[in-house]
Amino acid sequence: MRLVMKDSFVAMGVAILLFFIVIATFATVLAPYGPYEVMMTEAGRLDRLARPSFEHPLGTTAYGNDVLSQFIHGSRVALIVGLVAAVAVGFVSTVFGVVAGYFGGLVDDVLMRITDVALSIPTLPFAIVAVSLLGPSVQNIILVISILFWRNGARIIRSAVLTERERIYVKWARAAGASHFHVILHHILPNIVRVIFLWITMSVAFAILAEASLSFLGLGDPTVISWGQMLNTAFSSGSLRTAWWWVVPPCIALTLLVSSLYLIGRGFEEQTNPRLRRY
Amino acid sequence: MRGYVLRRLFQSVLVVWAVTSIMFLMFRVMPTDPTAMLMDRGMTEAARDKLLEDWGLTGSLWDQYVAYIGNLMRGDFGNSFFHRKPVWEVLGPLIVNTLWVAVPGLLLGAVLGSGLGVLVGWAPRGGKTERIGIFLATIIRGVPGFVIGIALLAVFSSALGWFPAFGMGSVDADQGASRYLTLDFLHHLALPLIAVAIYFLPENLLLMRSGVVENRTEDYVELVRAKGVSQSRVAWHTARNSLLPLITWLFPALAETIAGIVVVEIVFSWPGVGRELVLAVTRQDYPLTQSAFFLLAVMIVLANLAADLIYGKLDPRVVYK
Repeated sequence: MRLVMKDSFVAMGVAILLFFIVIATFATVLAPYGPYEVMMTEAGRLDRLARPSFEHPLGTTAYGNDVLSQFIHGSRVALIVGLVAAVAVGFVSTVFGVVAGYFGGLVDDVLMRITDVALSIPTLPFAIVAVSLLGPSVQNIILVISILFWRNGARIIRSAVLTERERIYVKWARAAGASHFHVILHHILPNIVRVIFLWITMSVAFAILAEASLSFLGLGDPTVISWGQMLNTAFSSGSLRTAWWWVVPPCIALTLLVSSLYLIGRGFEEQTNPRLRRY
Repeated sequence: MRGYVLRRLFQSVLVVWAVTSIMFLMFRVMPTDPTAMLMDRGMTEAARDKLLEDWGLTGSLWDQYVAYIGNLMRGDFGNSFFHRKPVWEVLGPLIVNTLWVAVPGLLLGAVLGSGLGVLVGWAPRGGKTERIGIFLATIIRGVPGFVIGIALLAVFSSALGWFPAFGMGSVDADQGASRYLTLDFLHHLALPLIAVAIYFLPENLLLMRSGVVENRTEDYVELVRAKGVSQSRVAWHTARNSLLPLITWLFPALAETIAGIVVVEIVFSWPGVGRELVLAVTRQDYPLTQSAFFLLAVMIVLANLAADLIYGKLDPRVVYK
């Protein structure tokens, strides 16, 4: 909390993030129409590619859907995928990193070789192939993102554990007869909690970017609307260059949301790395 | 040193083998029938079996695996279902197209980014330059690759009409190697290349800036300064020391560019490996998908290997074990 007060970048990031959380929570109330509701003109024709107006503040799509409603509903997928995947990624990275770093030796070697293999997997191509094989659904996208991003975090958390492990109180705790589990829970984890939080924050951003990219490539969940998918539809219907009211909102929202997480992450980073602090 | 290089090489081969096996399993264990696309209605049983055998889809999973690895080692990647010709013939030219965008784009981003990073790093702490620089870099870093592409298209292609919107050359352009040397090609290359550069610029800037900030209070900077050296020379000294993390970052970044360039290639309809991968996936052309993926994985392994070896050369503090 002190961090938020002190650093205006972090404050801005938190504000943007909260804004989107509010939109996503009250999406059904805020959105004037259903995301796939088809709009008709008074003449009974499909109201396609209408410019922004009083009834449709952000105009309509090539298929007669209200852009504003799709935009508001789209925030849900981004946040759900981002948060769920990040928690999963954070959990797996922490378990891997702590076990490898704390026990060292053979355990460390084996786990780090597994991490090396995982790090050689091309991120987006793997996601494309895996999602298309598993079938495009929100659950599968979350699963694939979790499989992909634990690896970087495991490394970061492991190196944090390596320094904590050598602390004198860890040795004393062990000498006093504390179990490995007790030492990890009470002496290691509390000291690396910042690193873990930083990693989870970044993972939210990566997950949102990954979901958006997949949806943009046409591999999103076809049953729920997302920002990436809005752009995909605009792109494939050939309206990308004309219907600015349809294209600009999801672009700006994605940028703002991901940037807000980076802004928060940076605040953590400046705090955790003492060499970057002001003198 | 020699032992270290050999061990790293061996490790890299192991990693490639592991990634390939994961890929193999993913494709065979999946519920969808990979042959569905190949099979015509009313095909006789015998013709079907013949086809399956041609594609190496007969026998137990283990037999298929052995055959698959054997083919890979011989450099035989099979035939594309869709193009009906060897995978290499399809992917070969596309690799060149991808590298044309990825390498200059990444380098441009790295040069501009690190230059600006030095400026921001030396700016007074907590001052305007530092705050604005960091703020902009963080925001731009959050822009998804395809959004950069769409924005460039909207401004420079639709609104201003300076650059073409898609493809790699006009319809009447040559198809041979000479096409890469024409103005028409460069004209088409400009926007995708700039998109990649913008995508990588902020990360470079932030890395360089952190390096400079960490270095600027070191004793050697004080010493150089005490010798009465000009500010730009001092900045150069710290920049050189801050380059280390940047260079280790650059090689995996190249691999990631080649992998992540997919969206840029799609936005600009640039005929590269990434775009072909997406097309192959939607066409369920799995020999092509597998090979494109394998190719990208090998590139990443090689890039990481190069990064490790170069890092040792540049930083005398690194001891090879």
